Amino acid sequence: MKRLISFALAIIAFCALLAVGSSQLQKSQGASSSGTLTLYNWGDYIDPALLTKFQKQTGYKVQVETFDSNEAMFTKIQQGGTNYDLAVPSDYMIQKMHKAHLLVPLNYKRLHGFNHIDPHFRDQSFDPGNRYSVPYFWGTLGIIYNDQMVKASAVQHWRDLWSPKLRNNIMLVDSARDIMGMALITQGHSVNTTNVAQLEQAKLKLEGLMPNVKAVVADEIKMYMAQNEAAVAVTWSGEAAEMMANNSHLHYVVPTEGSNLWFDNLVIPKTAKHYKAIYAFLNFMLKPENAAQNAEYVGYATPNKAAKALLPKAVATDKQFYPSDSVINKLQVYADLGNRMVGIYNDKFLEFKMYHR
Amino acid sequence: MKRKWYDWRNVYLWLVFLLLYAPIFYLIFYSFNAGTTMTHFTGFSWQHYAELFADTRMIEIVLDTLLIALLSSLLATIIGTLGALAIYGIKKVWLKNSILSLNNILMVSPDVIIGASFLIFFTFLGLRLGFSSVLLSHIAFSIPIVVLMVLPKLSEMNHSLIDAATDLGATNLQVLTRVVFPFITPGILTGFFMAFTYSLDDFAVTFFVTGNGFETLSVEIYARARQGISLEVNALSALMFLFSLLLIGGYYFIEQYNSSKKERRRNRMEAKLIK
Repeated sequence: MKRLISFALAIIAFCALLAVGSSQLQKSQGASSSGTLTLYNWGDYIDPALLTKFQKQTGYKVQVETFDSNEAMFTKIQQGGTNYDLAVPSDYMIQKMHKAHLLVPLNYKRLHGFNHIDPHFRDQSFDPGNRYSVPYFWGTLGIIYNDQMVKASAVQHWRDLWSPKLRNNIMLVDSARDIMGMALITQGHSVNTTNVAQLEQAKLKLEGLMPNVKAVVADEIKMYMAQNEAAVAVTWSGEAAEMMANNSHLHYVVPTEGSNLWFDNLVIPKTAKHYKAIYAFLNFMLKPENAAQNAEYVGYATPNKAAKALLPKAVATDKQFYPSDSVINKLQVYADLGNRMVGIYNDKFLEFKMYHR
Repeated sequence: MKRKWYDWRNVYLWLVFLLLYAPIFYLIFYSFNAGTTMTHFTGFSWQHYAELFADTRMIEIVLDTLLIALLSSLLATIIGTLGALAIYGIKKVWLKNSILSLNNILMVSPDVIIGASFLIFFTFLGLRLGFSSVLLSHIAFSIPIVVLMVLPKLSEMNHSLIDAATDLGATNLQVLTRVVFPFITPGILTGFFMAFTYSLDDFAVTFFVTGNGFETLSVEIYARARQGISLEVNALSALMFLFSLLLIGGYYFIEQYNSSKKERRRNRMEAKLIK
């Protein structure tokens, strides 16, 4: 009995120590309950140096919480019990959140610097007139290839992927909307089609690609491509940038016939409380120098036109990540198609994955 | 028959250990990488450890995670031990079995479902998500584990021990503290450590009930993994591995010391008796 009691006391003492240590650390980060802004963001998706700079300038401390999927974020905000002031959902999710009445409209009188946002990226179908969202980062779906294994001219378009030369040499990202969308674009349809016959056609087209497909993988695609496991992969620009940092033989192409354009956007969820801090932060992040610094840290493309001008020339003129306007005009954004239609997309994609070559 | 050094049983044992530990050592090895990926080892450096110690948010999360694990397993051990005593005391067989089944259902039901139901329950109660919600849910899912660890020890105990103690005039409290608890102490400690490890590496339940700036290690690492796991996480894993190694080693030596002390005492007593 004595042993148990002393054991328990030792644990309690250790707990007290941990609690003191943790609260000290929190204080050292400058936490104070009154002026705290809670940002619900993807992991490692903002430059921490900007957060300290923001705190120095305005006195508001930013607390970052992270999520790993739009759906998880949606559930937590819908369920309540949290006090997120800002969140960073992707395009189709904004539509879904809007339908679920989870968003607070932006007050443009308090928002300064929105004019820095490139008109190309304003007024998108998921949020007409940007009533709810400020674009944060954007990117594309494209083809990444290894110049040691395949010539650049051989993989400029989606249809090139069906070439018999690429037998068993393509990796696809495991994402129903993206891969179905790729097949739809190849056949000249919209990536948001709700025509089941077109989807069936797209599936048949994809089944023809099967002999070339080496694997349908998720995050591992980055590692495989960096290790020369396959000549070509279909993935997002953000992932591509990371692969290219690890292997100088990799290059990224956005097919000129069209592709997906995706956005991550700052929105104010219903759970928001600290409006002064929210607008201070939005205005801070819209400032060109801050947006540029953030883009350099994260490595994604910024929709902030003035910030892009501040980026190093080599980055800002890189056609791989900042494609020309004529390409951008052909890019399509995913719309929220409702649960039933998303189910059909997923089923068709699954049928393709199960197809026996 | 003399055993050969490469006895196949030993070879098998070492092979299994190798398979179990190889990924951990692989991870630790790359925590010293001067590069930033786990694919090429470009040279030795401490830089990821330096990054880790400069990352106050990460350190804070580590402290919080340990705090939650220790506190929740301590409370769960107290509640679970008392619960096991109560179940042990039930005389009706059907009641005992149904309570045990209810306990086991909590053990086998998927974490995701437990987590989601906690989230719905806490928000229904209007509880703010954060430290307290994580602590409560960890206590809740640890209790069945403790019960399962303590109950066999109780059944193992010879009931005549209790009868003898009451016969000699011990009160109920004395029976509990002098007879029952010393006997089931190993079970209680095992229960505590099981609960501790469960709490430390739980992801699914914790993910649902964290919020308002409070996070645990598993949730944070999972969220960071979106951008590819930085080697800072490797450095942290190496330190955690070292920490658990020290903990286990320390526990082993304390046990060793205690049992040898008991042994000595018994020897002395026997020596006295012989005289």
